[in-house]
Amino acid sequence: MRFPATLILMAISALLPTRTLRAGDAPSTQPAKQLTILSISGDNGTLAPLELVGRDAHWQIVVTGSFASGEERDLTRGVRYAARPAGVVQVSDSGMLTPVGDGEASVEATDADGRAASIAVRVKYFNNPQPINFANQIVPIFTKAGCNGGGCHGKLSGQNGFRLSLLGFEPTEDYEHLVRESRGRRLSPAAPEHSLLLLKATGMLPHGGGKRIDASSDDYKLLVRWITQGMPVGGANDPSVASIEVFPNHRTEPLGGEQQLSVVARYTDGTVQDVTRSAVYETGEREMASVDSGGRVTFYQQPGTVSVMVRYQGRIAVFQATLPLGASVGDLPAPRNFIDALAFKHLRITGMPPSAECDDATFVRRVTIDIAGRLPTVAEATELVRSNDPAKRDKLIDRLLDSGDYADYFANKWCALLRNHRTAANYQRGNYLFHDWIRDSLYANKPFDQFVREILTASGTVTDSPPTEWYRQVTAPTDEVEDVAQLFLGTRIQCAKCHHHPYEKWSQKDYYSLAAFFSQVARRPAESGELAVYVRRAAPGVVNAKTGQVVKPCGLGDTAPSNPSPDDDARADLADWIVSPDNRFFARALVNRYWKHFFGRALVEPEDDLRDTNPATNPELLDALAKHFVQSRFELKDLIRTICRSRTYQLSAVPNAYNATDKQNYSRYYPKRLTAEVLLDSVNALAGSKGGFGGLPAGTRAVQLPDNSFNVNSYFLTVFGRPESSSACECERSQDASLAQSLHLLNSQDVLSELSAADARPAALAADAARDDDQKIRELYLMAYSREPSADEAAFARRYLTRRKSDTAGAFRPVNKREAYEDVIWALINTKEFLFNH
Amino acid sequence: MLTVPGSSHRFCDGVSRRNFLKIGALGMGGLALPQLLRAEAAAGIRGSHKAVIMIFLPGGPAHQDLFDLKTEAPSEIRGEFTPIATNVPGIQICEHMPRVARCMDKLAIVRSIVGATGGHDAIQCLTGRTNRNMPAGGWPSLGAVLSKLEGSVDPAMPPFVGLSPKMGHMPWADAGTPGFLGVAHAPFKPSGAGQADMVLNGISLDRLSDRRALLAGFDKFRCDVDASGLMAGIDSFDQQAFGVLTSSKLVEALDIEREDPAVRASYGKGDPHNRDDGGPKLMEHFLIARRLVEAGARCVTLAFGRWDHHGGNFPALRQDLPLLDQGLAALVQDLYNRGLDKDVSVVIWGEFGRSPKINKDGGRDHWPNVSCALLAGGGMRTGQLIGSTDRLGAEVKDRPVQFGEVFATLYHNLGIDVNKVTIPDLTGRPQYLVDAGYQPMRELV
Repeated sequence: MRFPATLILMAISALLPTRTLRAGDAPSTQPAKQLTILSISGDNGTLAPLELVGRDAHWQIVVTGSFASGEERDLTRGVRYAARPAGVVQVSDSGMLTPVGDGEASVEATDADGRAASIAVRVKYFNNPQPINFANQIVPIFTKAGCNGGGCHGKLSGQNGFRLSLLGFEPTEDYEHLVRESRGRRLSPAAPEHSLLLLKATGMLPHGGGKRIDASSDDYKLLVRWITQGMPVGGANDPSVASIEVFPNHRTEPLGGEQQLSVVARYTDGTVQDVTRSAVYETGEREMASVDSGGRVTFYQQPGTVSVMVRYQGRIAVFQATLPLGASVGDLPAPRNFIDALAFKHLRITGMPPSAECDDATFVRRVTIDIAGRLPTVAEATELVRSNDPAKRDKLIDRLLDSGDYADYFANKWCALLRNHRTAANYQRGNYLFHDWIRDSLYANKPFDQFVREILTASGTVTDSPPTEWYRQVTAPTDEVEDVAQLFLGTRIQCAKCHHHPYEKWSQKDYYSLAAFFSQVARRPAESGELAVYVRRAAPGVVNAKTGQVVKPCGLGDTAPSNPSPDDDARADLADWIVSPDNRFFARALVNRYWKHFFGRALVEPEDDLRDTNPATNPELLDALAKHFVQSRFELKDLIRTICRSRTYQLSAVPNAYNATDKQNYSRYYPKRLTAEVLLDSVNALAGSKGGFGGLPAGTRAVQLPDNSFNVNSYFLTVFGRPESSSACECERSQDASLAQSLHLLNSQDVLSELSAADARPAALAADAARDDDQKIRELYLMAYSREPSADEAAFARRYLTRRKSDTAGAFRPVNKREAYEDVIWALINTKEFLFNH
Repeated sequence: MLTVPGSSHRFCDGVSRRNFLKIGALGMGGLALPQLLRAEAAAGIRGSHKAVIMIFLPGGPAHQDLFDLKTEAPSEIRGEFTPIATNVPGIQICEHMPRVARCMDKLAIVRSIVGATGGHDAIQCLTGRTNRNMPAGGWPSLGAVLSKLEGSVDPAMPPFVGLSPKMGHMPWADAGTPGFLGVAHAPFKPSGAGQADMVLNGISLDRLSDRRALLAGFDKFRCDVDASGLMAGIDSFDQQAFGVLTSSKLVEALDIEREDPAVRASYGKGDPHNRDDGGPKLMEHFLIARRLVEAGARCVTLAFGRWDHHGGNFPALRQDLPLLDQGLAALVQDLYNRGLDKDVSVVIWGEFGRSPKINKDGGRDHWPNVSCALLAGGGMRTGQLIGSTDRLGAEVKDRPVQFGEVFATLYHNLGIDVNKVTIPDLTGRPQYLVDAGYQPMRELV
């Protein structure tokens, strides 16, 4: 039984002064339009009569003003409230209803101009309260007060001998600990106020966690009544929470504005109760918004998308707000593909005009680094600028994707994630074979589903099947499931190993069901200390550490359990489930990861933590990318081509008047520091040094290294953060700056001697009499930045190369040309334009 | 001098080029550290911050010969040293540490450290953790955690400095790994792998100055393209690096020639050579540590000598203890003299204790069952003994103290609540700073 979502009461015009937004202005929190509708919302945005059951019930109403423009604003704190008749409910200024007696009433909200809206309320069981239910009423108090958080009694080991289940996921255990453990000394039914629980929680007795609950609060009174009633558990047939809903769940909000949320819980018996006061709130982006314990969200001055996670009794809901800058976006170029259509749509909603398209010189450097992991050659850079072919950028993308450099660069990425780690000297053969297999797969554009299937189901020796190397590094079903979930499903399932996932629906049963797919994997020694991976004949299953029961393999979510026979390899079933087009994790995880590779910021951050409570900044775009990836039969090169061809990817990094602080709307390209490998190769390229690594052919570049074992002898790679291939997380690669990095690039013997070597570029340039300094400066700029120097820059460099300087004897002489070229190249590699892809 | 084009340009951290060059000129023999500190204090920059100095005694010193002498034990256990009284009634320590004895009111002795795994490395003394069940990437050391949580006090000073040089047994030279926090939080090691980068490599100061001007002329990239702050970070580190190369705050702090001769003399003269495969006996490191925390470092680690005496324990201790005695006493006294005793915590310990029974070579073997730690400063209640061992110094008699409890205490002194603060590991799991259940030691805080 639902009423329409809004009730039109009056439509009196209330003209507010209009103003135009200029860049840098703090936009007004009031829409410059007419307020036409005032509405009041109770149960999840509806006008259904509210039913407050018992004296502990509350209801948070939300009052919304709708404007002629279609915009909506929260007016919960901007109206006066009245309840008629008196004696049923009280309404606070913040719109919180509190029962005062059984009966029916109407609550009316009136704004300054006399517009009004109302909602019907009924209070029952005020005078003869129902018995208290421990799980539904008492446990949420501990969650709200933070008692059962991971920092306090919710730790696996508890705190000072008192343990609660993490975030109240296990009410039965909590009851046991609270009521029975420690000889029942925590609660005193004879003198409820003297219960240790209350004395500690209110700070009357010394408590490490300080005062958590006020003795005058409703929560305190409820706890006292519960103890007085003899600590009832609740009836066996009492309803439990089926779901929670937050209102509103999505709204466009003004910068600097606020929004009151209202949260309701739906119970298994169909009843609904407001839990706004008891739910726990958390914002995703702390620089964009904050939320108080009563569900009131305050927005700051940062445009974009921000979400608030709401938790109650293990159930979750998300409120997502779009905070437009409100600038006029104007005409946008025609979309090249669906990426542009959705990214531009988001920019229009956000009111954030994108930067201009980048020029050819910028594009050739950007895309060559992002796809091929190297700087463009001088020929490549000049060719793209010179060409008049309208398809020249597309053709460049295709050429790069066809090159071995693409395979080298992405093999480097996947080798780190797939833990191609040199644990001991006798891992070398396996490391090389696995790296080759990854590189060859990428070069041949092996569909990603097949790539993953071959890893998951690898058996035999590393000679038979190079991906078995992964099973050499990742050695227990629990480790295997954690890596696979994080890498290929974008899910941090490891949280559910020891307790229910705090922000997701995954329980320990889900965790162990997924781990069970790996239970038949066994290893035996092969020649030269290597391993052979095989599948034992056994019914697949692992022991759930919580229940002690054997769990059979099953995918996540509403998946039918897999029932492989002892003769089957259960991993094949896992692969079927993971790469199925219906799997809602697989494609999304991969496209989000690749999006980050190219844009520097994933649609969901971090890129391998996709969950309902961590929504994408542009969910439509994430879905469309995933759909495209599935439809293209998991073709990686096609995905990269689609991303790189988009105008969104080809936007300039240079901000306009509106988007300088933008970090999540893709209104411009976000510069990325070159990774350790690409930077080392680029420095070598500019210095004219061959580089090289011990035991590998001369001229081997850092992006071609097969494993992590070369880091130990390359301080450069170590200090710039090349990962050790010890984790499935991209975050193992450190892209932070440090003093040691600056010192190394500015002053290390390695870099300086490369520049001063007899066969290095400075010596060659100084000796080259065929070309003048201007030509050489131009070449260096093209190498380093893929662009021509400006007239000022060329003149500045020329002055440096041709100046005179007093020597030690005091004579004024031309500077040494070779040293001057060393200085110029040294300076180029230390500029930010060189260090970044932009 | 070169003319730099684009005079109105500003660096990403907001310092204009003109200022930048001026800073550079000053750096070359301009302000000395005390002047810099005074100038900062005048500018309202907080003079004091919380810090930790961690002194590791590689190899594990004999607890019963230093701070827990067992005069009642049989002669094959008792050892050769006599206890002496300290300035705290009831506390006695080894006769070869008279200076420490005279400032015992400023130190606390924990005689009951337990939980050593027996590994010949510094991991427990630097992270408070064991290498069992390590998360991918490994545990970060305390200094790396501070670098991650609090960053630099001063952009010209790295938050975490490790003074340990290379040693024959490299696990002892560990200055504190960044673990899963990543290389950006590794200690800055003036004597480690980056040492060579700190002195000009074959180019003159004059040429560096030319290069710097040249770089300023080239580096005109618009830094407003980066909203992440990384470009500003690189500019700031580049300035720090030029400071290091042209002598400034960090180098000043490392340069004990600039210290008051009287203070310097109080630390005594050590031995720069490594003792066998262990560390050097550099009294200067104690002084440098103090200068570094004073200049803005949050954590300084150092390793002193080598204490793994399976043979000839007593002659070696007779040789080394007076040095440790002087360095330690001077450091503690110096911290008090400068009013740093509330802000700077000091911990001194090794990876384990040594066996009660003296072996046939006059040495003591490894004894992970129990060992000692000394703590000072940090506003702790000093001048007390915590815990005790049995008659033979073999097992804890009361108040066993885990490594993690000492770390919880150090974090407490730093104003960090170990029950609340977590840092995400590489899987995103929030990790507490100490293992579950460890709390600051009630006796001390």
